Amino acid sequence: MAEASGVREAGADRRFASSLITVGSVILAVVAVAVLFAPLLSSWGPEEIDPLASLAPPGGAHLLGTDLNGMDVWSRVLHAARLDVGIAVAAVALAVVAGSLVGLVAGYRGGWADDVLMRVLDVFQAFPTFILALAVAALLGGGTANLIAVIALVNAPAYARLVRAEVRSIRELPFVEASRTSGSSFWGVLWRHVLPNSLTPVRVIAPLNCGWAMLTLAGLSFLGLGVPLPTAEWGAMISLGSGDVVAGRWWTSVPPGLFLLICVLGFSLLGEGLQERADSTRR
Amino acid sequence: MRILRFVLRRLLQLVPVLLGVVVLTFLLVRVLPGDPIRTILGPNATEADAAAARARFGLDRPLWQQFLDYVGGLFTGDFGTSIQSGAPVGSEMALRIGPTMELVVIALAVALVLAVVLGIWSARHAGRFGDHTVRVAALIGNSVPEFWLGLVLVLVGYSVLGWFPAPSGRVDPDTELSLITGADLLDAALTANGPAFVSALEHLALPVATLVIVIVAPLLRSVRASALEVLASEAYTAAAAHGLKDRLLLRGYLVRATLVRLPALAALVFGFSIGSTVLVEYVFSWQGFGQWALRGLLYRDYPVVQASVLVIALFYVVVFLIADVVHAILDPRVRI
Amino acid sequence: MTLLSIEDLSVVIQRPGRRVAALSGVNLSVEPGEVVGLVGESGGGKSMVARSIVGLLPGGSRTSGRVMFDGADVLTMGAAELEAFRGHGAAICFQNPRGALSPTRTVGRQLVDRLVTHRSLAPAPAREVAAELFESVGIRSPRRRLDAYPHELSGGMAQRVMISLATGCAPGLLIADEPTTGLDVTLTREILNRFRLAANAERRGVLLISHDLASIAEVCDRVVVLYAGTVVESGPGPQVLHEPAHPYTRALLRSVPDIDGRPVTATPGAMPLLTEAPSSCPFAPRCAHATQLCTADLPVAGPLAMDWSVACFHPRSGPLDDPAEPPVPAETPPAGTVPSAGTATSPDAKGSVLRIEDAHVVYRGRFGGGGHHALRGVSLSVAAGERLGVVGESGCGKSTLARLMLGLVQPSRGRVEVAGHALAELRGRRLRRLRTRAQLVFQDPIGSLSPRRTVQDAIGEPLRAAGVPAAERAARVARALERMELDPSILGRRPHELSGGQAQRVGIARALVGEPDLIVFDEPTSALDVTVQAQILKVIAEVSGDSSRGSVFISHDLATVRGFCDRVVVLYLGRIVEEGPVEEVFGNPGHPYTRALLSSAPSLGSGYGGPQVELTKDLEEADAAGGCALAPRCPFATDECGEQEQELRPYHASLVACRRAAEIPALIER
Repeated sequence: MAEASGVREAGADRRFASSLITVGSVILAVVAVAVLFAPLLSSWGPEEIDPLASLAPPGGAHLLGTDLNGMDVWSRVLHAARLDVGIAVAAVALAVVAGSLVGLVAGYRGGWADDVLMRVLDVFQAFPTFILALAVAALLGGGTANLIAVIALVNAPAYARLVRAEVRSIRELPFVEASRTSGSSFWGVLWRHVLPNSLTPVRVIAPLNCGWAMLTLAGLSFLGLGVPLPTAEWGAMISLGSGDVVAGRWWTSVPPGLFLLICVLGFSLLGEGLQERADSTRR
Repeated sequence: MRILRFVLRRLLQLVPVLLGVVVLTFLLVRVLPGDPIRTILGPNATEADAAAARARFGLDRPLWQQFLDYVGGLFTGDFGTSIQSGAPVGSEMALRIGPTMELVVIALAVALVLAVVLGIWSARHAGRFGDHTVRVAALIGNSVPEFWLGLVLVLVGYSVLGWFPAPSGRVDPDTELSLITGADLLDAALTANGPAFVSALEHLALPVATLVIVIVAPLLRSVRASALEVLASEAYTAAAAHGLKDRLLLRGYLVRATLVRLPALAALVFGFSIGSTVLVEYVFSWQGFGQWALRGLLYRDYPVVQASVLVIALFYVVVFLIADVVHAILDPRVRI
Repeated sequence: MTLLSIEDLSVVIQRPGRRVAALSGVNLSVEPGEVVGLVGESGGGKSMVARSIVGLLPGGSRTSGRVMFDGADVLTMGAAELEAFRGHGAAICFQNPRGALSPTRTVGRQLVDRLVTHRSLAPAPAREVAAELFESVGIRSPRRRLDAYPHELSGGMAQRVMISLATGCAPGLLIADEPTTGLDVTLTREILNRFRLAANAERRGVLLISHDLASIAEVCDRVVVLYAGTVVESGPGPQVLHEPAHPYTRALLRSVPDIDGRPVTATPGAMPLLTEAPSSCPFAPRCAHATQLCTADLPVAGPLAMDWSVACFHPRSGPLDDPAEPPVPAETPPAGTVPSAGTATSPDAKGSVLRIEDAHVVYRGRFGGGGHHALRGVSLSVAAGERLGVVGESGCGKSTLARLMLGLVQPSRGRVEVAGHALAELRGRRLRRLRTRAQLVFQDPIGSLSPRRTVQDAIGEPLRAAGVPAAERAARVARALERMELDPSILGRRPHELSGGQAQRVGIARALVGEPDLIVFDEPTSALDVTVQAQILKVIAEVSGDSSRGSVFISHDLATVRGFCDRVVVLYLGRIVEEGPVEEVFGNPGHPYTRALLSSAPSLGSGYGGPQVELTKDLEEADAAGGCALAPRCPFATDECGEQEQELRPYHASLVACRRAAEIPALIER
């Protein structure tokens, strides 16, 4: 009897949402520990070359072996977390702030500014985000600041759209009209009533987006458009190790990818859990 | 007839977007910092060399004139000449589109079928173990880096098990497949080349699997959410309360109402899969459009960059148009 | 043989962190050919009864007792049995018919699906039967309608389709869950008569669920009243309606305003949400007749007369408006006690707090094309101390008029003046200050409060915007709160923690706190339960008695307006068709539309005394051409009516926009 499932699952859903949030948070907490204590957790430096070992298999002096350049894979994987998580979070934060602000004002004010914004967003939407990131990153050049800018740029339109849509429905709600008839000013209504209520979807999307930003960053680096070697970065490490795979040497590319996967999964679980919780309270 | 009018109206609405796309791709390679000529010529070139090169590609002329030339070229199908190879960009590109389309279309088709079947099943078993398993699997699919997944599949499928060919190319050259469309599977079928068909299939298996895993996840999530909404809707409850049989409920009241929102999402995922394809092609040395565009980007071969980004955007816009039309056909509430 | 017999049914819903005793020991029966009304406020358990009959209880429910249908217990049925029983044995007509029809399947196919499943017809003959069924529920050109999708149907049409779906399964029992919500009075009658017809002509049993006793009483053989999951009274329709025995039934009926103008009595308190089956009378805390016995023991339903039982230790007797029984709490002041202009002619401009002249409002389509003409040349004014009522059916422009008064929409033509200043002529701070002179009380009490702000913030907002210092603000908020009889502990709560009645009191407090010149009440009670409605009406009557202020009361319900307005305006399709003193409009209406509205209004008392007038078509079916907007529906219309716009002209003490107003009494006689 599927017909009652919509109702029946409500309790189970909330439990599932809680476990998603818990697992996601634990993963992210572990990642945070790795980010903070990376130097203590590895005996080799991330860019330190062991002249005696190139492509050494795991075990012995190197927990996860060494790569082509004789650098310790374990140490590099740990240290890369700093860069990857840092860039992703910074980029998403920038995108959220810039996108939401634009969406908020355009959505609430409407009129020609809104029309222009929507047309610009339409044009942006005609480019698949990764392709746009690829093109801009290639032309702008690598480096941390540029990468943050690129990833923020390709994500911001989505936030602008999201917040705008939310604001447009909120501004028609009775409590906004009530505030307007109370004599509150334009910015007063916007700040006290529209803004806090329009950010709900953003709160849910942002963690998911952090995961996606990490994948984008790693993808760019994998193609040689991100962080240059020898800086420890997961995508670049996978790229360096990709040649070894055909020869059956797994340790240079599998561990960084696995760490990336787990880290992104942490964000995804958290985001999905938050979404589920938001949905089940709405029902 | 009404559908045709609907399509025409949508096409007309697309004109400003297309214009914006053309302008943006034009500005992309010119306004961003970095001088392509300098990059191409290398550090040893003199200022005179650079000026000569600029003149050769028309980069010394005012921006508006360059733009007019560019747009004029687009109308005659002239995408310019590749700086790297000296060959016309248009004909180079034509060779590369087939293989990539083959990859994307097969992967998207498989992913759509999987997503619909699994998503509806999952929604009908919502809150139970099977549903949770599907959802966690989808989350993992959402989180996996596709280029790494491709490498892992190569490691397992080729290096360890030896079941699949090495990740270099799309078909065994010994099969002497003659080129028609560039899509090898299609070419093999058209020329009735049995060995080539098998070889192309073997080469397709891993890259398609990689793409399917990463693009099925977002589709699946959305189909499930949409099906859940339908299941909780009053309309479905009413049909169930009137005692309709399970099969009729599924066919008549759940599937179509669920699929109504799928086209727009599928179009979005198509764009996402183009991004993934660039990475997957790179891993499997697919020699398709993505790899070609990537090489253009790395060498700042700006006619190639312009043309490839423009073509991707055009494709994407057309796919959205198709999605719109499919949506209009599926959903009686859309007025056409 | 009894068709449906519910015996001692209890339902407890257990959710994580929440437990609700939805039904406790409910007994209820329906015979073939009988229409039984199930009445009560929300939370009473009406829908739960309907759901338990078709085995659609929500997850986490535990049941005891029996639901016997044709000799079989529905609660113990297996999946296959249940599937056959649903639809075939008992079928539900859902509350929101457009939502209950699948949007991607034609209504014909949805009906054919039911026919094929339950009557074992082949698809082709099923289609023939479907067309016949459509015709029998009053759908014109049924064959064409078979291929329509639900979104192409009007609300009334969708409800007819819903009825055909339910009857199409050939069930012995039809369950209709609030079938007339959102339909106008004319359609409501027609739909209810369909159910009566189904019982009379086809010998089906009908269970009619409604929150509104008055509207369904006419078609019911028996009425069952639910309170907090228990049956408090059940008996023959006329008796329960006119001489109810249970204090709750009496309170419920007294809470409903009536067009005969009798006073409304408010009962304090609200229905409890029980976590366990009650061990004492659940109504005792609100009951004026409660004794120690009532709070100690649970009354069981005892027979009072033939077919009439009541669960009360101290059943009342006698007619509802028996003067011997003193009305319990305070009453609304009778209309007209407050000095007011009270004439049809506009009060002089000096004392007027609101003045609208020839206002037109057009909502434009996105690209300027089309557009919806919501108001067409409305002029009215409200004096200080005056209470103006605005009535009309949905879509007549009432809400637009409210928004216009508050400056939330701009007139495309005409002029709006609040407190002597034209809204359109001011900008910025001065406009904002003028806006605070008029305040709005919204239809949706909880939705009109910002979800993330506390009650304190909400009430204080007008003061904050006016720059009142925090200390004074707190004092004034406290005063407003006190006037609303709300406890100060409510100040820290957020909207979702409030009941509808509390939220609406907060809304009124917010409107009141800045001491405005005008308060507009836009259907302030239509989202509330009946007994809460009466409480809020009492509060509004008190607030609108301030002589320094004008009030506008907007409602679709004539009876509510009659309760405490001085002057009434009747709107039809964006035009004022009649305007006059309240007693005049209700006692001696001039416009055919007003006459028809009054004729079709449900009443528990003497009702509308004048001659009955019925409109010939539904609003949805009539397409107005030029001339008088009512002409296509008006039984008195001549060709000339369709040619010229009607202007308001004097008729007795009112203004009426009908050229034949004076002739109509004679026409009705004939």
